[in-house]
Amino acid sequence: MAHTEHDSHHIIPMKTLLRVFGGLVVLTILTVAVAQLDLGVLDLPVALGIAGMKSALVVLFFMALKYDRGVNSMVFTIGTVFVVIFLFFTSLDVASRGDLSNVADETISAQERRAEQLRDEEPADSLLRITPADYANAPPADSGRTAGASGDAAGEGAGGPPPGN
Amino acid sequence: MATETKTASPSQGVTPQSSAEAHHHPPSHLKSYFVSSEQQFDAAKLGMWIFLITEMLLFSGMFVAYTVYRSQHPVAFSEASHTLNWVMGGGNTLVLLGSSLTVALAIHYAQKDKQRKAAWSLTATTLLACAFMAVKYFEWTAKFDHGVFPGEAFNPHGDHYAHLAEFPFARQFFSIYYVMTGIHAIHVLIGIGLIAWLATRAFRGHFSSAWYTPIEIVGLYWHLVDIIWIFLFPLLYLI
Repeated sequence: MAHTEHDSHHIIPMKTLLRVFGGLVVLTILTVAVAQLDLGVLDLPVALGIAGMKSALVVLFFMALKYDRGVNSMVFTIGTVFVVIFLFFTSLDVASRGDLSNVADETISAQERRAEQLRDEEPADSLLRITPADYANAPPADSGRTAGASGDAAGEGAGGPPPGN
Repeated sequence: MATETKTASPSQGVTPQSSAEAHHHPPSHLKSYFVSSEQQFDAAKLGMWIFLITEMLLFSGMFVAYTVYRSQHPVAFSEASHTLNWVMGGGNTLVLLGSSLTVALAIHYAQKDKQRKAAWSLTATTLLACAFMAVKYFEWTAKFDHGVFPGEAFNPHGDHYAHLAEFPFARQFFSIYYVMTGIHAIHVLIGIGLIAWLATRAFRGHFSSAWYTPIEIVGLYWHLVDIIWIFLFPLLYLI
């Protein structure tokens, strides 16, 4: 029992350790060599694939997960799955966000609230005045005109500036 | 809890020898709340693996940041990445892989009761880790000399770096670069301390095939630091 395939005290032979190290060195040289070529879109997957193979070697042999109890492999697998979920779903989110440099300052709900307020608002008097004479701060030249000469100014007299000022 | 321990012992498959060892001559390293050395060793390892998962998740946050910014600013990231020295990065990769090998050898020798060889393997690991940090020092100071700082202070000048000023998001690349390699370097420094401490203990004969848990646990940590670098190297230096 103590010396079965899965034993936490398994002694990994020197030869295996040296071979794994050799494999890691070869893969490192390979990843540098491949990076000198321009593979376009394949650059990233190839680099990540080689890095994945290297870490698999380290995990299985140097960290001895291959010979270890299953529970440790389970912990490692669950952790890896969560890392993949983290990366994958964040990438999905980012990829489907649209043009990030072309966004409004306000939140969507704030924009909707403001539009609704504008719709519900009674148009103010100020928005309905159309001629210069309608304005409260109309120049004194207008108010100085005779009442008979301008019917508009007379009609608006109540809301206008106090006469004689 | 008591029933749990009782049911656990048969399922652990304790051999007659090791159970006799546990009950009649408990080894000094065996804590009272473990049934056997075997169980104590496995518990320590499981705990370490769980800790390593939290480490993986810590670094994965930074890898996600890298992925997002790289996918949005591929040209700036490519330009900035090409200013890094892949010879130094690749050399450091080999140094760290070598240090992983020597840690694995230290465990191998401890399991075979070759204490001095285990101690020398740990010493070699410490020296390789220091070599890694020395290269890191030269890489960083070369960048600082040319104004390649993280964040606001980013002000690249000199033939090699000046063109980075044209890419607003080159600064983002270097912020991510410094944070990722920096947190990795902190892990290397902690590893240097731990492994040097283990080496001195190994020279004093504290470890044997019966008990080498600290070497195993620190070894697992050190291999994870190596794995993080295995991903950092191609992502930062090569593509």
